[in-house]
Amino acid sequence: MAGALPDDRELALQILTQLRGPRVAAAFACGGLLALAGALMQTLFRNPLAEPYLLGVSGGAGLLALLGMAAGLAWPWISALAFAGSLLALSLAAALGGRLLARDHTPLLLAGVMLAAGFGALIALVLSVTPAERLPGMLFFLMGDLAWTAQPALLWVALLLATAAALALAGRLDVLQLAPLKAASLGVAVAPTRWMLFILAGACTSLVVAQAGSIGFVGLMVPHALRKLGYSGHRALLPACALAGGSLLVLADALARTIIAPRELPVGVLTALLGVPLMLWLLRRP
Amino acid sequence: MESTVPSLTAFQLTLQTGTRTLVDSLDLTLESGEVLGILGANGAGKSTLLAVLAGLAAPTQGQVTLDGHALSALPPLTRAQHIGLLPQGDEGVFFGSVVNFVALGRYPFDDTQGKPVGHAPDDVAMQLLTWELTELAQRAFDTLSGGERQRARLAQLAVQQARIALLDEPLTHLDPAHQARLLAWARSEADAGRTVAMTLHDPNWAAGHCDRLLFLHGDGRWQLGVPADLLTPNALEALYGPGTAALWQQIGWGQTV
Repeated sequence: MAGALPDDRELALQILTQLRGPRVAAAFACGGLLALAGALMQTLFRNPLAEPYLLGVSGGAGLLALLGMAAGLAWPWISALAFAGSLLALSLAAALGGRLLARDHTPLLLAGVMLAAGFGALIALVLSVTPAERLPGMLFFLMGDLAWTAQPALLWVALLLATAAALALAGRLDVLQLAPLKAASLGVAVAPTRWMLFILAGACTSLVVAQAGSIGFVGLMVPHALRKLGYSGHRALLPACALAGGSLLVLADALARTIIAPRELPVGVLTALLGVPLMLWLLRRP
Repeated sequence: MESTVPSLTAFQLTLQTGTRTLVDSLDLTLESGEVLGILGANGAGKSTLLAVLAGLAAPTQGQVTLDGHALSALPPLTRAQHIGLLPQGDEGVFFGSVVNFVALGRYPFDDTQGKPVGHAPDDVAMQLLTWELTELAQRAFDTLSGGERQRARLAQLAVQQARIALLDEPLTHLDPAHQARLLAWARSEADAGRTVAMTLHDPNWAAGHCDRLLFLHGDGRWQLGVPADLLTPNALEALYGPGTAALWQQIGWGQTV
């Protein structure tokens, strides 16, 4: 690349330290946070299909971010709106479905899935009345895109704190895979632990959505794949999720930047294109 | 095993669902060294009673005490070191292997908040052997058959070594060989001074292998006594409904008891 020419070394260094470096760092932290959130959601709902956006986080964030874009607001405002939207979605899901969490997670699940569907319809409505020239930015946000991410340090602090917090719960999370009554009989406070999971996963997801839009698939695939590979105890699974999720997103983002350079693809397209064949191959294994 | 005094006691326990009274003013002390069978029709409140005795649900009225302390006031881990519960089967996903699953029964003792109470490291291996799961130990739990899962649940309860074990229909899915295994386990627990209470639907099993029986009629009425007194054709028809005694008469338990 240009770095081979002596004159351009300074420029190359600048690109590395001010553009590429922070973006790679942000990609790793986002991927790690999403995979961690996915693992926590799968344990909360005792379901391998659970993922970070299950309760409408991406819908809530997407709707408010798109409204901000339609109004012509600049990025920091869009980011703040996305964060507010995801918190709104989580609060609604908790208020509507969180009553019986000690025994049954189905009401929370149903409330979240309904909210996601409602937000999806509103997003489609916003998209259909928006002038065409504003659409590409909106689509990139909805698919997930790391080009806007401005705060890799914040994401890294969040990743480290979230991993530490999740690890502190690891023993309890192993037990929480059992039926709620059985988990309670073994001395786990089921409802408080489930609320901690909900809040921790929600915080991780909201932070990533506010920084990079709704990057799909990492949070569903990475924990599931690692569990298939034998990481069943949370003490090993959770750090492995952070590492593998981060690595996958760094790889996907590098490809998203380079495949049709100078144009970029939304990174969410690449995570799915990389992840789907990998996942299908894993599912065929005995 | 630490204590042989009467341990778990229910005072004037009343259980209601909605406006229906399932159990009215039940007084029950689980004696050390006994196997108690709980019989009743579907929906009579057997599972609810077990959950209340385990301290996992609040009764409508009355209270349950463990060694004189209100169960509801005990820290969850302390309670779990003394009382174990086998709930009815659950079709949720478990991601780990059979040995991972069974070892979770030791959580009340392994957790950093709890004090280790003298578990030998080979407890899990021993229970895998007892329940004939050793060869399945490394298999993914989700690939087990119904009966194998039930054995894994029983092994998980057994490694907890709770001095009071409450089992909800433990015979479910078990073939005769493993029913005999369960019987031997329950008897050895009782002989070691622990208490086993189980719900079941088989009066023959109750007649042969339980020291005391509790009948729940589902309308508030209950009967407590030894099998010889309670297991009569009339009493069973009163419990389960007209015509049901014919199910067991041909085998001849009525004559032998």
